[in-house]
Amino acid sequence: MSNDILFLAEFAGGAPARSALELATGAAELASQSGGSAVALAYGSGAASGAAALGAHGATRAIVLGDEDRPAITYAPAAVAAARDGGLALLAPATPNGRDLAAALVGLLDLPAFGPVRAARVADGALETEQATLQGSVITTARPVDGAPAPSVVLVLANTFTPAEGGSGTAEVADAPAAAESALAKASVTESHEAEAKVVNLEEATVIVAGGRGVAGEEGFGPLRDLAAELGGAVGASRAAADAGWIPYQLQIGQTGKVVKPSLYIGAGISGAIQHRVGMQTAEHVVAINKDPDAPIGEFADLFVVGDLFQIVPALTEEIRRRKGA
Amino acid sequence: MTYLLTADHDELRAIVRELAEERIAPRAAEIDEKQEFPWDLKELLAQQDLLGTCFEERHGGTALDTIAQSILVEEIARADATTSLIPIVQKLGALPILLAGSDEQKDRYFPRLASGEWLAAFALTEAAAGSDVAANRMRATRAGDHYVLNGSKRFITHGSVANLLTVFALTDPDAGGRKGMSAFIVETATPGFGAPRVEHKMGIRGSPTAELTFDGVQVTLENRLGEEGEGFKIAMATLDRSRLGIAAQAVGIAQGALDAAVAYAADRKQFGQRVVDFQGIQWMLADMASQTEAARQLTYAAAARVDAQAQDLPYWTSSAKLVAGDVAMKVTTDAVQVLGGYGYIAEYPVERMMRDAKITQLYEGTQQIQRLIVARQVLQRAGVSTKG
Amino acid sequence: MKIVVCIKQVPATGADKRYTDDLRLDRTGVEAIINPLDEYAIEQALRLVDDGAVESVTYLSMGPDQAAEALRRALAMGGDDAVLVTDPALAGADEWATAKVLAAALDKLAPDVALMGMASDDARGSLVPGAVAAVRDVPLLSYGAELKVGDGSAQVRRLAATGYDWIGAPLPVVASVTDQVGEPRYASLKGIMAAKRKPMETWSLADIGLSADDLRGAALTRVTDTRPPEEKPPTERIENLPAPEAAARIADWLAARKLI
Repeated sequence: MSNDILFLAEFAGGAPARSALELATGAAELASQSGGSAVALAYGSGAASGAAALGAHGATRAIVLGDEDRPAITYAPAAVAAARDGGLALLAPATPNGRDLAAALVGLLDLPAFGPVRAARVADGALETEQATLQGSVITTARPVDGAPAPSVVLVLANTFTPAEGGSGTAEVADAPAAAESALAKASVTESHEAEAKVVNLEEATVIVAGGRGVAGEEGFGPLRDLAAELGGAVGASRAAADAGWIPYQLQIGQTGKVVKPSLYIGAGISGAIQHRVGMQTAEHVVAINKDPDAPIGEFADLFVVGDLFQIVPALTEEIRRRKGA
Repeated sequence: MTYLLTADHDELRAIVRELAEERIAPRAAEIDEKQEFPWDLKELLAQQDLLGTCFEERHGGTALDTIAQSILVEEIARADATTSLIPIVQKLGALPILLAGSDEQKDRYFPRLASGEWLAAFALTEAAAGSDVAANRMRATRAGDHYVLNGSKRFITHGSVANLLTVFALTDPDAGGRKGMSAFIVETATPGFGAPRVEHKMGIRGSPTAELTFDGVQVTLENRLGEEGEGFKIAMATLDRSRLGIAAQAVGIAQGALDAAVAYAADRKQFGQRVVDFQGIQWMLADMASQTEAARQLTYAAAARVDAQAQDLPYWTSSAKLVAGDVAMKVTTDAVQVLGGYGYIAEYPVERMMRDAKITQLYEGTQQIQRLIVARQVLQRAGVSTKG
Repeated sequence: MKIVVCIKQVPATGADKRYTDDLRLDRTGVEAIINPLDEYAIEQALRLVDDGAVESVTYLSMGPDQAAEALRRALAMGGDDAVLVTDPALAGADEWATAKVLAAALDKLAPDVALMGMASDDARGSLVPGAVAAVRDVPLLSYGAELKVGDGSAQVRRLAATGYDWIGAPLPVVASVTDQVGEPRYASLKGIMAAKRKPMETWSLADIGLSADDLRGAALTRVTDTRPPEEKPPTERIENLPAPEAAARIADWLAARKLI
């Protein structure tokens, strides 16, 4: 069986998604443990021309599945053809697109699936993964069962791997072998509606300032935006704020929204119910500001500030600005 | 005889509890503060088929057994006593028709009551005739093919929001209340009917308690219940059953107060430990819990006997209401005590629950009347003759 | 137009959960509910019935006998009948095995739309819809905020990074929906009573043409170890300080961690 580490490299609008660079780095790390190569399965607009540059992040080879922007799962037949040489693992981004394509591979090739993982390594020549399960209360270590088909699919959240330069500068690019006909290819975008304002992709943000019910209105997000700007971060929200229409749905963090992994998360006026918590609990540093001293978020935050967010958030913005200037 | 709580009862409790916790409890404080009838919750209960539980399926009801009906009331009352009056009074208002109405009368009115499209109420009490029902003075004078009702009623729960009333009035004033009273179905849209005022009360403040005036209200013969002179008997038979709804309400109020007290005491710390870890508090909670449970089981035992049409029904229903009402008052008072100063302020629900509990010792027969009823049964069983 | 809604019975949110000694999830004695995200799929299917776009809704679940409760609760919300696939060989099934089983059952039921919630409370992989579509060789319309059907095709409205897209495919399809669909309805009392009379069938693996061997022990992965997460230092608290002082303390904290 091959010791290669495959990974899905998504391209959009002519450039690689950040997940492609992160997974390239992660695949390269694993490949150095397994003694194989990191191999990209690149798809989406810009894949054909951009695949070679994945070498700068650790990819040895790249197989181009296709060069159009279409739902990732429609690339499954090509991915199956490309993955037929097997490998130890196939890293996939834990985004809707990535999960769908990974799922199709699981179904078509009977592959073991892990994820989302907090760590992956090669141990005794086999893949071993670590996941936080049961709402973060248990860390499980898991492996594929003996004799399972290869590669194992591994879902990876954003910010699990940090993109780094490494490996030879260019990956060797090839087209995917001919793919079987499949009904999966029949899904297509029939209408596209752009929103007026561009919305930041929270999954890739390293600093997030999030607001909840306590922000009490659209205007209430003003101080949070100021703080986020001062920290070079993005604004997010709990479901309560999104349901109330105070910010766009794309900024909702939680079980049914975005799962984020910033190095700093500041939650203002957010109680910390489990549905929100599962969207941000892997943040490296969690600061919470709430006027309720018993808010659940106080149990798992690193720093819990009891007070009025409308006083503390502007004061904090001011303090940070002052220190920068000093 | 014994009674059984089935998986269906458990399922009903789970469903109503979910609805009550998600939709009714969050509204309770506002309903109390604004003293407004919760029309939105009435619509919700109607949509969920929870106002038709005492009606037959052929009328659009769900014909639940009496224990299930008690569980329904209990779970709503645990969240809000005012809202629990909606199913309670829907049944109270309909009971005279259930007990003494003709099939034609039932077919004519029950579908709208079962669906919740119409609300019913029970109009017996008058300003000078509370415990002393026979002292009623309202008249129903026969005039050919109809009756004319003149008089007024006081303290009628939901009288101002009901579409249909079951009304008790004297068709034969000379015969006195016991023999000369008759029962009628009155649609409140009838000319001459008015609900000029509602009371400001200690508790159940979202439930309108109305004064009703009848000024030449015409009621057709088809809307008389039973025969002339049967009114007192119908009223007593109604109360023998409806007071069980109050028992269930009282059990629910007590449970809600107990749950609030436990949650608070588990969270609040004083003197370096949780309030709930003090033995004295645990003793209070134990008494509150076991007394609530006793009231609950007595209520279910009485409910089973209603369905079994037991001969000594009043012994059971009056005992249940007597015990449950006193338990509700004690448990809610203790709940306020467990919360200490915080129990006295409106930010916590127990002060409202205590104010709400008091009415269960007063309406549908005061605790003193219940004691008379139970005593009469006790003496009968002992073969001791009773006066009157 | 016929929809099959796939639902899963899961332990109640917040219930005490743990692993058994043989490193499987311990489900005994825990209150079980319909996976909350599946309720949105149920709601979406029932809305299409209310609109007249769909004639029949069948619920499908794979699980132990107890999962029949979840199917009854779904039927209480609406819908016509239900199928439970249960077999001792399915204990400990992972997402792959689940997808295989659901796919076989769906092929037998042959709906126009096989509808699911976007993820389950316990598994979190969101792989089942895609895997089912792949095994059945049927298009996938996933993460829909809304589902529409008609004219031999189906579409979902999916929220994109900016704005939204409509994604469509010819029937039959596999679709998944998110909580954007709208609040799931409560089961009414009449619904609960009617649910007891609605047909529910139980199928074994043999009934859907699968054998235990096909499922390779029902899981392609195995847990080799469990441990509690690393001890986090206790939460630091800042209370009862005027805002400027609190802000200074927070800034110190951030600076100490090189975050500013």
